[in-house]
Order: sequence, then C-alpha cells, then structure tokens
Amino acid sequence: MASSGLKNFYRQKKKGGVAKPSSNRSFAGKSPTVSLSHLVDPVPSPLHGSGAGSDKASLAAGIGEEEDEKLRQFDMDMRYGPCIGLSRTDRWERAAAMGLNPPTEVEAILLKSSAAASGCLWDGRV
Amino acid sequence: MSARLAPIILLAFAAISQYQPTVIGTQRSYRLQPSLLFSRFFSRIRSTRRRFPPSPRSYAEMSEAGSKLFERKQASYKNLDGRFEIHTEKYQGQQYSHIYFTRLHHMRNLLYTLVPKWKPNLPVKTVLGLEEGKECIIVGTIYKHMKLKPSILDEYAKERSKVPLVKPHNFLHPDDHLILEDESGRVALTGSFLDPSAFVTGIVVALHGKETSKGDFLVQDMLEAGIPPQTKLPLSSREDKYVVFVSGLSIGSSEFNPLQFQLLIDHITGHLGDENEQSIASQVVRLVVAGNSVQIAQGLLSGHTIAPRDQSASVEPIKELDILLNQLAAAMPVDIMPGLDDPANYSLPQQPLNRCLFPGAFAYNTFLSCTNPHQFELDGVLFLGTSGQNIDDLFKYSEAKNRLEFLERTMRWRHLVPTAPNTVGCYPFTNRDPFLVESCPHVYFVGNQEKYETAFMQGPEKQLVRLICIPKFCQTGIAVALNLRNLECHTLSFSTSLDV
Repeated sequence: MASSGLKNFYRQKKKGGVAKPSSNRSFAGKSPTVSLSHLVDPVPSPLHGSGAGSDKASLAAGIGEEEDEKLRQFDMDMRYGPCIGLSRTDRWERAAAMGLNPPTEVEAILLKSSAAASGCLWDGRV
Repeated sequence: MSARLAPIILLAFAAISQYQPTVIGTQRSYRLQPSLLFSRFFSRIRSTRRRFPPSPRSYAEMSEAGSKLFERKQASYKNLDGRFEIHTEKYQGQQYSHIYFTRLHHMRNLLYTLVPKWKPNLPVKTVLGLEEGKECIIVGTIYKHMKLKPSILDEYAKERSKVPLVKPHNFLHPDDHLILEDESGRVALTGSFLDPSAFVTGIVVALHGKETSKGDFLVQDMLEAGIPPQTKLPLSSREDKYVVFVSGLSIGSSEFNPLQFQLLIDHITGHLGDENEQSIASQVVRLVVAGNSVQIAQGLLSGHTIAPRDQSASVEPIKELDILLNQLAAAMPVDIMPGLDDPANYSLPQQPLNRCLFPGAFAYNTFLSCTNPHQFELDGVLFLGTSGQNIDDLFKYSEAKNRLEFLERTMRWRHLVPTAPNTVGCYPFTNRDPFLVESCPHVYFVGNQEKYETAFMQGPEKQLVRLICIPKFCQTGIAVALNLRNLECHTLSFSTSLDV
C-alpha cells in the first residue's frame, strides 16, 4: 500500500515549543513559534523539539519530550482517522478494534499518563 | 348518577371479560387489571368512534357452548435494535469526520476483497497516488457537488438573484458532478459512464479508470459493494402468518379520519365480520406502525408560550394515539417506530418514543417502542425498515424511476442512509456507522410513501428481498399485510366514504 509514502508526505513535526501567554514557567529565550513542516527526510528525530522548550501540557502530564513526540505523531497519522473530538485512548482503541495495528508504545504512554490520554494534539489550540 | 351507571357497568364488565379471550388468546402472561378494564369501558362510552356494545349476534355466538374460539397465532420475535441505540454514546464535542472515516474504512476493506474478482490485473491506488494515463482502481467516498443544494451560506451570498427558482421537491441540476474522496485527497470524476443523477454523497464505491491530463479521473467502470449475504429462510412448511404494516396515521392532522383507523383496529383485532374474517384476523402475529403517528400543529411548535386553551391541542393527538394503541396492544404485539413528525429526536437513528407518552399502552407487555431504523427477526425472517426519511432524502437529491429503485440502490450500496450526515440529520458516531447493512434482510420496508409499491429483489448469491413501500394511511387508507410463509404482500384498504 502507499501508506508509507503517505506518512512521508504528511509528516507533521513540531520544531519548536509553544509558549502560552499565561505560562508561569520560565522559558526565557525560547522561541514561541510552532512550525509544522512537511519534511522530506524519513528519519524522525524525537529529540528535535527538546532543545526549544517543552509544551506546558506535556510537562504537566509528566511525560518526556520523546513520548510527547510519539503521541503527536500518532495524532497526526492519517491511517487512524481524524483526531479532533476524540480522546487519544478512544482513538487508539478504535484503531485497534479496526485492525489497524496502532503502535503499542503509544498505548504504554497513554496508560502511564491520564492527562495526555484524555486530550489530543489540538486541545486548546483550535 | 352512580346508581344509574352501576347496572351498565356490571353488564359491560361481564361483556368485556367474556369476550376478551377470543380477541387476545395468547399464551403470554396477560394480567387483566380490573381498573384497566374499567378505564377502557369508560373510554368507549366517551368517544363516539367506538362501536359499543358488541353486536347482539356475536355476543350470543360467544356465549354458546360450541362457539369457535380463535387463538391468535404467535411468532418468535427478536429485537435487533441494539446498534441504533445512542444512550451508551457519550458526546465529546466530535464532528462528523469520524463517521465518514469509519464508513470508508469498513466499506473499503469490503471492496478490497471484491476487487480482485472484478478486475484482477489492475493496481489499486489511493487518490494521491494516481499517475496520469495509467489505468488503476481507486476506492473512496462519492461526493456530489450540487448546484441547487440549499446551503446555509446562501444567506450571506451577495448575488442571491443568480440562483434559479428551485423545484421544491428535487434539487437536481444538469451541472451536478461527482467527486471521489479518500483520506489522501479528492479527484473529480469525468466521463459518460457515471450518471450523477443516480448517485448521492456518502456512498463508497470502487472505480476503474485513469487520470486525465486535466487532473480529473476518467471513469471506465464502477463496482458497488452489492447486496450483502443473507441467511437462508428455513424451508419448513409454515402456516400462514401475517405481519401488518401501517404508517403515516397523522393523528391530529386534518387528514386523519378516526373512523378509518378504527376500522383497521377492529378488523385486525377480530371485532369485525363473521368467523371467516375472524380466522383471517387471528393469523396476524404483529403490527408495525412505521412512523408519523401524530402530527402536532406547526404553530404550537414554534417555541412561543402556548395559551392554556391551546395546550390541550398539543397533547390531544398523543392521548388519542394512546387510546387507539391500547386497543391494539391488548390484542396483539405492536411495534411503534418514530417518524419525522413524531415527538422523538430529529437526527437518525431516532430513539424509541418515551414510555410516558403512552401510559395506557405501555401497561401491556405486547407493546414495544422501537428505534427508527428498526430491525427485528420474526420466526427467522429478518426485517429491516425505516420511517421514510432515508428514501425521501434520496428522492430529493437523486433520481430513479420509482421509490422501489431507491430501496434497491440502498441495499446494493449496503448503506441504509447514505446521505447521513450530509443532508439527513445523524448522530456523530465516532467508532461505528450503524447504518451499514451487514446481513441482507428478507423484508425491507419504508414507511410514509406516496403510494403502495412492492417488489422482489434478487441478489447475485440467491438473496431474495421483499421490498415494501408503505403508503400514508391518512391519505390512502391502505395498510400492508405480509405473509411470513412466502413473503407475499397484499393490501388492506379501508374507506369510510359511502359512495362506492
């Protein structure tokens, strides 16, 4: 199937962190921009976003950068359907029920942190 | 006053308790609650529509020692409405993208198994993987771009005068064109193979063709999912058992003729006619009321506060329906489905009418309030039907030579309501599409149609479906009776006009 080609085509990666205006954490000097770019290189670098500051939500959820990156990639993956309006756990369970074989490490992260599991990438941003 | 009524009450109680058995004769635990009988009696006196007391001749017959006692036939019933219930769903603010995703996913998996048998040598691609000039197969959801489709944004369009006068019942236009969509993208469909007037938005098909230089897809052939597999009818010699369908009673509207419906009730409960008629009536095992049982005046539903004198006008239709259903439920199992005009939710699947609407009828365990669409099994025969919203919507957005053809199409597309959620209201399911037809019914009915039509549809794997269009009873006075033994249909026509 053309699924791997699609994954490359629609790869969404956050390069930088988002600094919320009411944030109390000190992220002085970090860039507040979010860049979602269609990348050509197929190797995902989970540490890409680590240097530019973390998302407040992911830190509050108690999960690290790489895991947050994995969750975002799961959200953006088109094979499992749209992600808005559905909690990540529900979406993962739906994908599993449909036989789409969602990645098991994502399930592990979702079980570990309930805050990350109940939201989705677009919470608070759309 | 009570002293005057006392002997009448005693006589009536004797009469009612005497001839109950000939009417209901079922083996279910039917508790004769005295208070219920009295209330029935009083309701009979009050309403002028009732035929009371029973004619002396039949009463004499019943009290004779050798009089014929007819027992109503029974059939084993299984309700399969579970997938149309939404009380287990939790609304999380989702939109309709999920229902389209699940529909595409399930139908695409199905079509992928059918494509190799259809055209084994062609590659299957996604929309974004199309290459110009190369023949291939793509699978996706059809979207029909309709020029005349009413859009809420027309209110804000500046050039409103350009829109031509719309025919009120049909939004077709020669310029409508089709687009195929999947998760990766969409492509416009060209070529003369597909006629846009036969399609609607929301069906999933496989197309064989190639991409043109303009970026459109030239369609050479099309594969629909086809009629789903059907479990065979048991061939044992069966007796004649009838299911009666009626829809569009519209109690409370100006077209409702209470005498006409009362005739129907009396006929199928066995109050009419001689022994012959009663024996025919005893073979009716179930009554299905397929939607639009009441009609409340539009002015009362506009949301303004209703004056006290108008308040009764809004509840009277339901009360009347309850009284009539009471008589029916006492005699036989009744299924009632909500319709467009009924006090149920608007979007499909419509949930069962609430039990507090029918305080009288719900006392009987033979009365069942069902969802719309409604699926059930009687003696191994699988029934599936709606109150008409799906076919009426297909009629607005596509064209066919008669309503039966719409029924055939929905079965071939394996989807009950393909235009949901586009033009028919629908609950935003997230992980399933309950309108996908998994197993082919033996009887497929739709209510509230203009006229009675019926046909047998044959499938490629020897599936046989009886298609029934049930007409509106308030306008035509026709109810439909279906024989479970051979799936033959005939009409029961009631008229109260004196000129023949």
